[in-house]
Amino acid sequence: MSPASEHPTAPANTSDLELLRQFEPVVYYTKGEPFFPTDVAHYVQDCSLWEHYPDGHEDLLVKQGQLTVEKLVEPRPAAFGTIRFLRYIENLNLAEAAQVLADQSRLRAKKRNYFHTGIGRLARGGFLPRLVDGLFSLSFLLRGRVSLATAAAAEIDYSELFKEEPKYIYYGRVARQNGWVILQYWFFYCFNSWRSGFHGVNDHESDWEMINIYLYEEDGRLVPEWVACASHDFKGDDLRRRWDDHSELDIEDGHPVIYAGAGSHASYFRQGEYQAEINLPLPDWFTGLERAWNKFWTETLNQPAGSPFRIPFIDFARGDGLRIGPGGPQIWSPVLIDESTPWVSQYRGLWGLFARDPISGENAPAGPMYNRDGSPRGSWYDPLGFAGLDKVPPPPQALVMLKDNCAAISRRQEELEQLTAEKAVGLQSLGVKMEGMEGNPHLAKQHAALEKTLLELAAEVRALRRERSENSALLQGLTQQLARLEAGLKDEPHAHIRHLAVPDKPAQTFRFDRAAETWAAISLSLLLFAIAALIFIAPKYIWGGLTVIVLLFLVAESILRGAFVQTITRITLVLAMISALILFFHFWKWIILGGLVAIAAFLMFQRLRELTG
Amino acid sequence: MAKRKKNHSRKKQPIAVTVIAVAIVVLFLIRLYQVFEPLFRQQVFQNGITGRLFEGWKLTSLSMALLSSVSYFILSLAGIVVLIGFLRLRRWSWILLIAWTGLSLLITLINYFYGQPNYAVMLSNVIIAFALSNADVQRIFGIRSDENVPGL
Repeated sequence: MSPASEHPTAPANTSDLELLRQFEPVVYYTKGEPFFPTDVAHYVQDCSLWEHYPDGHEDLLVKQGQLTVEKLVEPRPAAFGTIRFLRYIENLNLAEAAQVLADQSRLRAKKRNYFHTGIGRLARGGFLPRLVDGLFSLSFLLRGRVSLATAAAAEIDYSELFKEEPKYIYYGRVARQNGWVILQYWFFYCFNSWRSGFHGVNDHESDWEMINIYLYEEDGRLVPEWVACASHDFKGDDLRRRWDDHSELDIEDGHPVIYAGAGSHASYFRQGEYQAEINLPLPDWFTGLERAWNKFWTETLNQPAGSPFRIPFIDFARGDGLRIGPGGPQIWSPVLIDESTPWVSQYRGLWGLFARDPISGENAPAGPMYNRDGSPRGSWYDPLGFAGLDKVPPPPQALVMLKDNCAAISRRQEELEQLTAEKAVGLQSLGVKMEGMEGNPHLAKQHAALEKTLLELAAEVRALRRERSENSALLQGLTQQLARLEAGLKDEPHAHIRHLAVPDKPAQTFRFDRAAETWAAISLSLLLFAIAALIFIAPKYIWGGLTVIVLLFLVAESILRGAFVQTITRITLVLAMISALILFFHFWKWIILGGLVAIAAFLMFQRLRELTG
Repeated sequence: MAKRKKNHSRKKQPIAVTVIAVAIVVLFLIRLYQVFEPLFRQQVFQNGITGRLFEGWKLTSLSMALLSSVSYFILSLAGIVVLIGFLRLRRWSWILLIAWTGLSLLITLINYFYGQPNYAVMLSNVIIAFALSNADVQRIFGIRSDENVPGL
């Protein structure tokens, strides 16, 4: 039996703050993480408040140093399409940018807080995704972006802020819905440095993350049942783990353990390195073409699926850095929030820079209650639906509901039995009557009317019997489930999970890891050099040469990744398809003719065989 | 004397394996023709190797023909080795054949786009490529082992 510390309970009348404290999570960070959950009031004091208008211009509403949480929520009417945002780091000129980058290096050296990539994302994705990734990186030249110097300045400012207020803060909210008591832990970070610090997708000023714990009441005590947190690529049921699921959730002295992604602060239940993928915003016609090609590739050619238009990024949730939570030197400072907290409900703007990024990856997020566009955030108003729990009753209620369901179905079965018997007798009576009419032409009309009634009654009886049979199967399942629950047995703990977030195992992925990593880093540039050389040396053979070079790169890559057979098969198949199209283009008459002759011969063979027995 | 029993449990070869074997033989014959064609063109069989092989640092048409003939001869020999391995259902022969087919398709396509099409080789390679990627063929050669093998 597991120790009581792994199944803590709290009296049902425990105050909200005490409840939050009792179940607060332990969060492990990755070494090199520069930002930790902090206080919004101090952050706001370091910010200026701005408005961005639909015509593109921006106005400063409150200067840096003059803003407070109270001023933040002051009513300010604005036109449709206006975006209100905070700005943590002001524009830096070249000299200031160089200065903060140097200061950042000194700060890291002082704290000895370094991050080592190891086998990075580039080597984990294939050559084509890397090519697309190169274009994605170039897209930052066109998209709005948070600069490297901004990230460095934020790191320095946060370090100063932490000196003034050396606390790790979470904002706790207790919600009660459908028999569940939901503890929400909101974490505010000054900055998300996933791209600049950890080769991730984006950087943005400010970051809000959340962990939910779901409790139910039994015998006057609150019992934790589920833990859920937001994560890349997952939603609904896949976001939650059951408290007793030891393979998927660590519990430390009664507190759930979460591993935060480096820079991204996304939450994971297992420590490791996670491959997150982003889909490029491709036009609909292109996505349709890609879907058709994938269908042909996987279903007709029976080949494994894969898309080059998904860029792999690694979220490092190694858990080898700072640990914050009960039972350690770094502990949480909780602050209670709810809808009556002014900055929660009355500030709908962004909590950091609006970077004018059309894909939104670099724009700061809004607060706990709102989305970037100011609409209500689902995880706030529907914390049950967020984790797919809106359909799941708390265990004690589940038992009662199950019993009620069984009783209702049993009652219906009795009704059905009686009803079926009555209707069946009526049906037989009609049948006898109809038989008696046979051979009497003058009764044709009545016979036809009776036949219609009989058919309707027969259909009714059939439907009743079907319902009874279906109910019987359902009742059997429910009764078994009821017996399991009454015996104190639970379902398999991750039966609800459709897509499980599993960390990479980089050590097993590559045959020549260092060579693969080096190759991944330089291959794209080498390819461009080779193309340049080809244009210079043999411009007449540009297309042939280009094809050969790209294929050579793909094959070299596949050898390093231990995927030679798979890659060579794909290349050969694609070349075969191009060749097949060329052959069809030149010999389509002969191909159709040949097909017709073959079909004719086959049919003749079939018929002759039938004829000769 | 007890007769040796036939091994009825022996795996049945999918039709694709036979198709590939036939295509390899066709390719072998084409390559064999390509071995002799340049030699006939240079009248080597009538006159022997009488001309010069080099003019300064450049190859003469005779040496080019010899080189081409030797290359195709090596390819033909490789084809026979692969065919033997293939008929014995060896994994290495499948890998060698798919790599060879890919390379051959690439050369054929480049030749096509530069105005020197060879449709017979192209067709043989297309047939081999599609037949090799057949799931049953891949399973029988141990290339994929993802699903149950119905009918094998």
